[in-house]
Amino acid sequence: MLCHLTRRMISRAEDRGKKMPGWAERHSARCGACREYARFAASLKERLSGEKPALLAAVPDFPLNEARWAEAEARRGNREVFGRRLVAHPFPVAAAALVVVAGVLILFQTVLREPSPSPEERAAALAGLRSLTAAPDDFMGIVTEAESALAKEREILERSVVSAVEYLQARLNIKIERRDPAAKSL
Amino acid sequence: MAEADPIGQRTDDELARQARAGSRRSFEELARRYKRRLFVYLRPRLGSDEDAEDMVQETFLKLYRNIESYDPAFRFSTWLYTSANRLAISSFRKNKVLVGSLRAEEAGTLADLGPGAGGQTDRAGLWEAARSLGVSQFRALWLRYGEDLSIDEIAVALGRSRLAVRLLLHRARLNVMMRVAPAPNGAKAVAKAAAVRGTARK
Repeated sequence: MLCHLTRRMISRAEDRGKKMPGWAERHSARCGACREYARFAASLKERLSGEKPALLAAVPDFPLNEARWAEAEARRGNREVFGRRLVAHPFPVAAAALVVVAGVLILFQTVLREPSPSPEERAAALAGLRSLTAAPDDFMGIVTEAESALAKEREILERSVVSAVEYLQARLNIKIERRDPAAKSL
Repeated sequence: MAEADPIGQRTDDELARQARAGSRRSFEELARRYKRRLFVYLRPRLGSDEDAEDMVQETFLKLYRNIESYDPAFRFSTWLYTSANRLAISSFRKNKVLVGSLRAEEAGTLADLGPGAGGQTDRAGLWEAARSLGVSQFRALWLRYGEDLSIDEIAVALGRSRLAVRLLLHRARLNVMMRVAPAPNGAKAVAKAAAVRGTARK
């Protein structure tokens, strides 16, 4: 692990031209393999530069296709001529641009613009709206039904409580009074 | 007495500035100087020498077309390799040339570089070892030691971060050393132990 880190530090020092940290230098002095790597990394530039001519000499020679450059040059020349024409004659160019804009506008108005809806389509849309507004009636009906069931439950519960109270009064000979809910909250 | 051609004595950046100003001769001189270097740079990822030549031609054509966009604040070589890299990537995407060589790279080696470069092992041994690395590691090594670019310039050319470039170079150095230098004692001991275990099993 220390060797791995030390070699990383050696490479870093090589790339950034900075000194290695002390611990890496101490380890490098002790470890033969890291010392060897440091030597190798330091000599690599000189060795690879020295071998570069041999590497390039081994590349097969080939001619450059300069005819294509001439084509590119001609095209670039045409572009420049067009640019110069634009600068020299701005009014015809502006007129042409106006014609193009007008053409686009006419095309939009006549072809691409959506037609207004027919009476049948309007009627269909209104029917759809009505069906939407009708929905709350059903909703209210469902709510009322649910509430009535709740009220019945409450009634039954109240009756059973009253009968229980009556039984307790008779049995224990006491009087039980119903408290006012408003007073309780106070 | 024949007068020495002054164009051959100009620096790359001077030539690039003149080419930008419209001098085709300066561009030709630049192309002449860099065609082999660019070939070496592009060759590992391509299937044949012909593909590499085509790519070199395409790169110079593209550079010539866009010579106005060259910024003299940068070195010409940085601009050249950045453009070459981008062109190579887009070309690979378009033509799917990459398939075979990618497989080779995944396996940790590159396709054979052909007979043109094969006979120079004793003279360019380190570069031969470098060519057997992955394409990215080889390119980082080439730009650093073959073209003497800085880490920042390599990062621009390869379209990577500086940290990624430093990591690539570190791995490349380790791998080249493993290929050219004899295995260290520790590795020898491990290999020996493995051999002994293999014999005992038999």
